[in-house]
Amino acid sequence: MAAVAVRGGESSRLSLWVGRNLTGWIFLIPTLFFFCGWALYPIIKVFYISFTDLQYIDAERKTGNFIGLSNYIQALQDPQLHVGLLRAAVFTILFLPGTIFIPMVLAVMIDRVKSGWLGGFYRTVLLIPAVIPGPLIFVLWKWLYNFNIGPFNTILIDVGLFNKANAPQWISDNLWLTMGSIALMEVWWGLGYHTMFFLAGLASIPKELFEAAKVDGANEWQMFWRVTVPRLRPILLILVVLRFGSAMAVIDEYLIFGFDRSKPTYTWTVYMWDLAFQIGSWPQGYAAAIGWIGAAVVLIVVAAMFWVLRDRDG
Amino acid sequence: MATTEIRTEVRAPARAEARTAPRPGRRVPAGTVIRHAILMLFVAIIILPLLWVVILSIKSLPDAYQGNLWPKHFDFTHYSYVLQHISTIPKNFRNSFIATFGTIITTTVSAVLGGYALAHTRMWGRRIVFSFLVASLFFPTRITALIAVFQLQKSLGLLNVNPGLILPYTTLSLALCIFIMKGIFEGISKEIADQARIDGAGAFRTLWSIMLPLAWNGIVVVIMVVFVTAWGEFLLERTLINEQEVFTMPQVLGTVFGGMGAWAWPRIAAVYVMSVIPGIVIFAIVQRWYIRGLTEGALKG
Repeated sequence: MAAVAVRGGESSRLSLWVGRNLTGWIFLIPTLFFFCGWALYPIIKVFYISFTDLQYIDAERKTGNFIGLSNYIQALQDPQLHVGLLRAAVFTILFLPGTIFIPMVLAVMIDRVKSGWLGGFYRTVLLIPAVIPGPLIFVLWKWLYNFNIGPFNTILIDVGLFNKANAPQWISDNLWLTMGSIALMEVWWGLGYHTMFFLAGLASIPKELFEAAKVDGANEWQMFWRVTVPRLRPILLILVVLRFGSAMAVIDEYLIFGFDRSKPTYTWTVYMWDLAFQIGSWPQGYAAAIGWIGAAVVLIVVAAMFWVLRDRDG
Repeated sequence: MATTEIRTEVRAPARAEARTAPRPGRRVPAGTVIRHAILMLFVAIIILPLLWVVILSIKSLPDAYQGNLWPKHFDFTHYSYVLQHISTIPKNFRNSFIATFGTIITTTVSAVLGGYALAHTRMWGRRIVFSFLVASLFFPTRITALIAVFQLQKSLGLLNVNPGLILPYTTLSLALCIFIMKGIFEGISKEIADQARIDGAGAFRTLWSIMLPLAWNGIVVVIMVVFVTAWGEFLLERTLINEQEVFTMPQVLGTVFGGMGAWAWPRIAAVYVMSVIPGIVIFAIVQRWYIRGLTEGALKG
């Protein structure tokens, strides 16, 4: 770069700077078009809407009048929002540990497989769910959990643990059972994808570290906790924070599994969606406030996680 | 079935070990056996639910409703039945293909150009663009933006218009895809690009004829990510489309209730299998590059 710039002195250095910026920004045009149009602008617009009394199919309030913080004051006192956030938190608590640790252990095991053919086989099979889109996974598991035709209940009844009268309703009114069932499905879905993350991380650990630890008399367990986990720390941190954010904002699962105010699947995201596109005259101003409160909760916890898990050595 | 598999799996590495490091006896260490047993268990956990739905799609109707895991009678006609008798299904498949294909094109082009600009041009404002993209990953963008996306699509006259989905769909995976491409381009040394530039190639030609062939694995990962996102997108579809004819497959399957008649369980299962197969086929074709791309740097971003 420098060599090129030196050849022509000041004027060509300026034209080089302009040229560099011009190409860069021209290359970014499609990205900026989509990102600004369907992510940045809508988020700002929703922020504005949250300060209005906009009700989408109400003739008088279709455009919305500015009403200050009213929506936020009302939302913060809304028990439906409180319980919605709580339900999302329960799901997150049940989902996060499994989706981080099981793939990590699997990655360590696959990493040790000596046969290249078998290693490839394990990777490929584990990645199959990752190429099936989420909503289609949810449809499949909705059927697996189905009371009548679902294989879980078929098997439980066949082995005699339950009968048709008392077999479990996996997705029902029980908060922990419902969220546990959905969390299990999500862990299954993410197994291969997350395992690949950890395998990439493992590949970057120098093998000498393990040999040195072995010489020092460390057993498998100690090597896992003292060598592997600390080295995987950056990947762990990113995965925990990313998955936390996505788990708190889950919605497709609940829309597909079926929702209703009293059901555990009616989280803050579903409440927002329901208000904005289904209930009454679509109070989108209020729904927007709920969307922003939920987003703020996620952001605050994400920031707290970065702060707690920050690298203290560096 | 499972046990025979495990036995052969275990023997293979044992033989390899014996060849490289001959030890007294040919005993496989217990740890290896346990490890492969656990991995095989996970293989079964992945395969069995998928196998179940495939079997359901070829069960006879009585078998499906009597709760037999393995049917007494097979019935392979469900596939042709749904294509012939549920008139919207072929249309729904076409809709899925159009929305997905369009999104793959727009996202891949944007991500290649954008990733290259962020990785290899020293332009002003690079950091700002990059941090906005990063922030969008940690922010529940998809949920919070939804109300305004709906209003935007409405004002563009794109409610209940299938290709209209391409616009919001592209944004869904764009940030992630730009990271993937940026990571891949950063793995290619700057000297190659600089050399091309000194030889007189413009930025676009450098990207097209020098960088792209080297970035192929990353592009495969991007196409796969976009395919999975767009082929399965449900929330936007459910919000922006409410006519059965304009549905894509996820909404058909996500809103259907299994029952009798045209929507009997084995028939829905057949629709399901047909919806999942394109992804598996594409994955089977590209998986070599895909896994290489993932390990090569796509995951480093």
